[in-house]
Amino acid sequence: MAEEQDIVELREKLTRAAQLLLFRHHMRPGAKAWELRRALGRDYEQVAKLLDGELEKLGLTVKRVSEGEESSESDRYFVTLRGHPTLTEARTFGWRIDDMGMLTVALAHILAKEGKAPLKEVERILEEKFPRWRIESTIDRFIRRGYLSEDDEGLLYIGWRARAEIDQRTLLGLLLGKEEKPSEAEAEPKTETERKEETEEKL
Amino acid sequence: MRSERQELMLRIIDLCDSVRKRGLDPFDVEVREFFDRLRELLPKMRKHEEIYLDIQAVLGLADVVFQQSEWIKHKSSMLYLDPLLIMLKLHALPAKDLAEVLARAWHPIIDLESLSPHGIKEGMDYWKNLPSLDERWRGLDTTEVLTGEVARRELARMGILSDEDFTALLDKNWRELKDTAGEQGEVSYWDFISERSFEGTVVKAWLVSFLVSYGYATLELKPLEDEITLKPLSKPQNLECVATFSVPIAISRDEWLRRVKHG
Repeated sequence: MAEEQDIVELREKLTRAAQLLLFRHHMRPGAKAWELRRALGRDYEQVAKLLDGELEKLGLTVKRVSEGEESSESDRYFVTLRGHPTLTEARTFGWRIDDMGMLTVALAHILAKEGKAPLKEVERILEEKFPRWRIESTIDRFIRRGYLSEDDEGLLYIGWRARAEIDQRTLLGLLLGKEEKPSEAEAEPKTETERKEETEEKL
Repeated sequence: MRSERQELMLRIIDLCDSVRKRGLDPFDVEVREFFDRLRELLPKMRKHEEIYLDIQAVLGLADVVFQQSEWIKHKSSMLYLDPLLIMLKLHALPAKDLAEVLARAWHPIIDLESLSPHGIKEGMDYWKNLPSLDERWRGLDTTEVLTGEVARRELARMGILSDEDFTALLDKNWRELKDTAGEQGEVSYWDFISERSFEGTVVKAWLVSFLVSYGYATLELKPLEDEITLKPLSKPQNLECVATFSVPIAISRDEWLRRVKHG
């Protein structure tokens, strides 16, 4: 009987945790550790782990993101996709390819510069690939959405959302492992033999 | 004038700022050497300003040490990858490949926006207090007036248009100045601008400023005699060929009254 009662209580806590993490209550999504502790009790971390197990079936996960190096009560819990979307899927989320490229450049540059870089420097690098008139507004949008943050001295940092959503190590690893493709114009024209070989391979 | 001590401290502060703001390598700063120099200087400091600079320099150097520790932490972390390689990749890859890199490292947050009971009540109150469409679309009580013409004099009376064309006004004043200067070729500035009313005097001074600025006349200042002389030119001078400078002349009501009384 007592065991049944425990199960019911745990179910209720799981439901409450899911509501707290999935429904937005403040400006930012998710919930802080102390909010979960207040709503779920001292064993909130266990409840979060159980919820993570439940969400795994749906391809989601519960992520704890620290503001500093050590975990604290002000850490925030989010529910994120467990895997990553494909480029086509990302476009259906309302993202432009150019915007995603710009965010990659900004994040990678900031990470390469030990977590902070002057805004002007980032803009200058972006200008090499993207139209200048789009850069300023796009960076503003990234700041508003929390992917980047800016201080009074015009330095850009990795924002709270990027810390929660972007696997920084994977990003840099993929970037370095990415093969450079020569553009159509730059590529050397193929000989007739090469073309034949290619066709045979395909067949 | 800054002393050598102050110069050194300002240089240290500036260098420390560069490390923080412009990402200069913190290990390029000779922290120990600078601390030694500051220690030598400290007993010689007498002025508050110097001691304040010393504090700022020490704080700056302490910050550099902090930056050095951060740099070591970053280099020893799993995230450290050669920045040069990263920069090269960023330069080389097209936008689509960069976007793909992001997509593969991306785990978007899932959240739903919900309406709270407070929000629902607010919405209900707004709906209740919202006037009907008829009321909102009710036009303002206005009378339609046909377009017409306004006389130039009327516009001048309203202060929208000058009664006389500005160029014509300048030309008129230039001729007046030439007449007043006569054969002598010069006239006292105050004699020329003084009018019966203070407002008229200000307007005249304003016009004279344009005459001088546009090269129709020159001003000669005699500071010892407290006298300003206006010299009309027979032809407007090209100002690009001469060195020009601004002369502020204050015209107060008291000054105007004093000059009018003394003739």
